[in-house]
Amino acid sequence: MTEVVTKDELGEAFAMFYGMAAAIGDMVEPAPEMDDAERVQRAKDTFLHGLDGTFALQLDVCVHCGACAEACQFYIGTEDPAYVPVRKLDLMKRVYQRELSPLRWLHRLTTPEITADDLRAQQTLVYDACTMCGRCNLVCPSGINISEMVHLNREALAAAGLMPDELRFMDDGQAADGTIFGADADLFRFRIEDLEQRLGFAIPVDKESADVLLVTSGLDIHLFRDATGGAIETLTHMGIDYTLLSDAYEGANFGLLSGDVKVQKELTRKLTEAAIRIGAKVVIVPECGHSFPALRWGAAESVGKPVPFDVMTVSEYFGRAVMDGRLTLEPQKHEKPIALHDPCKVGRWGGVFDEPRAILKACGYDLHETDSSRTYNFCCGGGAGNFLIERADPLKRAGYRVKMNEIEKTGAESLVVSCGSCRMNFEVGKVKAGDTMPVESLAAVIAAHLPKTPKEAAE
Amino acid sequence: MTLLDFARGPALEWAAVIFVVGLFWRIGGLIFLARARPLSRNRRDDLWRGGWRMVWSRFVPNRVFRDRISLQFLAGWVWHVGFFVVLLMFEVHILFFEGLFGLSWPALPNTVILVAAAVTAGLLVMLLIRRATQPVLRAISGFDDYASVVVVLLPLLTGLASYAHLGLAYETMLALHLLSVALLLVWLPFSKLVHVITMLPSRYVMGVKFWRRGVEV
Amino acid sequence: MTHPPPSLSDRLRAHGISRRSFLRYCATTASLLALPPAMAPRIAQALEAQRRPSVIWLSFQECTGCTESILRSDAPSIESLIFESISLDYHHTLMAASGHAAEAAREAAMAENAGQYLVLVDGSIPLGNMGFSTTAGESNVETLRRVAAGAAAIVSIGTCAAYGGIPYANPNPTGAVPVSEIIRDKPIVNIPGCPPIPAVMTSVLAHFLAFGELPELDDLGRPVVFYGQNIHDRCYRRPFYERGEFAESFDDEGAKKGWCLYKLGCKGPTTYNACAVLKWNGGTSFPIEAGHPCLGCSEPNFWDAGSFYQPLSQATDLDSRTLALAVGAGVAGAVVAGVAGREAQKAHHEAAAKRAADRSKAEVSE
Repeated sequence: MTEVVTKDELGEAFAMFYGMAAAIGDMVEPAPEMDDAERVQRAKDTFLHGLDGTFALQLDVCVHCGACAEACQFYIGTEDPAYVPVRKLDLMKRVYQRELSPLRWLHRLTTPEITADDLRAQQTLVYDACTMCGRCNLVCPSGINISEMVHLNREALAAAGLMPDELRFMDDGQAADGTIFGADADLFRFRIEDLEQRLGFAIPVDKESADVLLVTSGLDIHLFRDATGGAIETLTHMGIDYTLLSDAYEGANFGLLSGDVKVQKELTRKLTEAAIRIGAKVVIVPECGHSFPALRWGAAESVGKPVPFDVMTVSEYFGRAVMDGRLTLEPQKHEKPIALHDPCKVGRWGGVFDEPRAILKACGYDLHETDSSRTYNFCCGGGAGNFLIERADPLKRAGYRVKMNEIEKTGAESLVVSCGSCRMNFEVGKVKAGDTMPVESLAAVIAAHLPKTPKEAAE
Repeated sequence: MTLLDFARGPALEWAAVIFVVGLFWRIGGLIFLARARPLSRNRRDDLWRGGWRMVWSRFVPNRVFRDRISLQFLAGWVWHVGFFVVLLMFEVHILFFEGLFGLSWPALPNTVILVAAAVTAGLLVMLLIRRATQPVLRAISGFDDYASVVVVLLPLLTGLASYAHLGLAYETMLALHLLSVALLLVWLPFSKLVHVITMLPSRYVMGVKFWRRGVEV
Repeated sequence: MTHPPPSLSDRLRAHGISRRSFLRYCATTASLLALPPAMAPRIAQALEAQRRPSVIWLSFQECTGCTESILRSDAPSIESLIFESISLDYHHTLMAASGHAAEAAREAAMAENAGQYLVLVDGSIPLGNMGFSTTAGESNVETLRRVAAGAAAIVSIGTCAAYGGIPYANPNPTGAVPVSEIIRDKPIVNIPGCPPIPAVMTSVLAHFLAFGELPELDDLGRPVVFYGQNIHDRCYRRPFYERGEFAESFDDEGAKKGWCLYKLGCKGPTTYNACAVLKWNGGTSFPIEAGHPCLGCSEPNFWDAGSFYQPLSQATDLDSRTLALAVGAGVAGAVVAGVAGREAQKAHHEAAAKRAADRSKAEVSE
């Protein structure tokens, strides 16, 4: 593997990036004015738009057993009953009961209408205290899809102009120029050139047509260059017909994270149309948890018809290649055991479990699974954009602690992840908690185990 | 008309009618609602398999949750089973169903029923106290939650009292027992107790959703 | 009347009954009434001193079963002889007089003993067409009102007089009511049963004669001593109930083994009477002992409390037909609720879309 970013460079970039993220609160413009009646109306419209028969059935069925609390790392980490997952659906349930329930005539007598203050109070519950990881869905005796309904809450709050400042900043930014953290086309080209220099080969950009479209993200452009670099190096090694596009390189989707449906769809549509334009058969989304669901489960929805390409995340694409024998990795002797973090949106919500494990095996790693692994994995504690929300810091720390305790229990001495925001959250959490567990990108790990070229071998 | 005549006659009759019509109303109003249909490609087809799988798998909590919720699940299991054993396997209850449907089946010995009813009632009382004291449950409990436990508990307590000839005169106790059953029947379709019908379908739709995404739960 | 009438003891001696057996009767009565043994001599004294109080027996809508019952006290029993101690001035089945003479005897007794006489009633009173039941051209309700006016107390013999009984049963074509519905200003004691146990009737009379008042009554106007416990609690088949051993039909193994008759509709658990203790025909047996479930004949509305052979734990009105109708209505309701739900969804979506369109129009115009 070619080192595309040194440890020092990464540390420097991290410090800079962290400073940038922390400054969002100062940079953000004040929220647009909206009167309370309008907020309530928009929130209700959004709830009722998303509340289909499936959600109605699931809202209706809850028996308030409280089991979901025992799956949620924010409750486990804080033991604060405010964070019981299903409680986050109370507001939505009131709208359901008054407007859609078969017993609405009864509930209108007993259930109060939601107010703007209710909506404001809801903000910390569905943004700060929930990453929509979906672990509560797995313990609920009724299988209630709490996490997706929390997402509908985010949509309602977004419509009511009540996103947290940090996410509003990111959402506004992406609405304006399509990318995040100011990673515009110039910076993208600069990073590509930088990578080309370090890798020593030309990186295909803006090809008219290609089998594979590789997408990256502002986070990788700024910071986790090893992740995108690793993917590029491996694709080139495999001889895949791929390209990056300077008008469709941003995989991040803060419309999705903030609950801004319009921006979410628009961003996804742009990527989808670009992929169709170049005739891609596969779109590889970067190591970015939410860019996977945004495209995998949103591409067809954004253009209103099925799409002619598959969407895969880095770990899935290369993992399958390893499993099919299309990619051979060179196992190395790793003395120290490692642990793997399955990003919620890719694992529990995407079914990608075997692929990263196949890769690690092919690399010769001794993988120690956490107690809660695969489907039952804990979130990193800062997913779904939470890692940017400053006031959620105590919650993020609590969530991180729960996760890190499981990792430490495995005896692993480093951690592999294939999600930029998980990685970011681990890095920040480590600094704050004084932990030292090294965190590595799976894409970088793959690249590090590519068979040596004759030239490299000669060196 | 004595209280017992009222309980055995009009009370049960009207309660049963309200129960049936109310239940259909509630379920109909739910299942006929329009549902969103995804356009994106499934990771796995035969969606019904995922739904069916989850209907059964969720009866037992996954290994990773056991440390934290085993006791709660166990208590839930025991009282639900106890309740249905008492409801369906008690000699005189079978007589009730025989009177209604003309069908009967073998009963369990009275001592078994007595123990089951006592354990069930005891657990329900414990769970009620737990709901009122445990912070998490307190935070998420409303009138429906407390009332539903009481409404389920009443037939057990009045049933035990009339079986053992405790408290009021037998026919009064029996009447109260039947009235508490009538209350349960009337309460069920309009409360969270409707989960006896909607819980498994709810599991099913979640199982389908996960299965579609290639996740077996 | 110049001679005082002979006292009871005189008459007993005339019948060849020893003082010993008379005292034994008094002791039995005392114990039946749950009085302390010391009361027995007082009963004897009172009875001996009694000067044949006048008793008027009115029969309305009845079957004469109650009269039969009281007559079937085994002869020559002391229970039957108790009638020697009263002056049964009117009983249109038993009295020798007939026609106008009978009514004349009653009127004479009423005049002579105004405020003193005891009225025994069997049968219910129709309030519908007065022609439904008359005696000597007078409607039952008129007779009762008139006769009761001068009574010291009234004893309603049998379930019909006490609670309306069979004539009162749905649909009650004659508009029958019990005595207590018509007479509200006199002490009334109910001795329900279809018919009542003879000893219960005679004991209540003895109590009245001895103490000049009625025994302690429960909330249904019944003497607590006889009606205080239910049949089930005193039933000799109770252990089979506890063990869950039931006769399933009248001729199965369980029936032959004398198991509990609950499943055959026994109303013992809800019936308050002394049958299981005093029994019938001189203590020989009672219905359950004979293998038939208790009908609950001494309880109000026993005729309308579901089938005699329907177990107590079954609903009386609810049946599978009602349920099927409810299911039909429910299916219709489900469709209505479903359509209404979809309409609500559509209305919400349309309203929201319109609001969104208005908003973007407003934004454009800005």
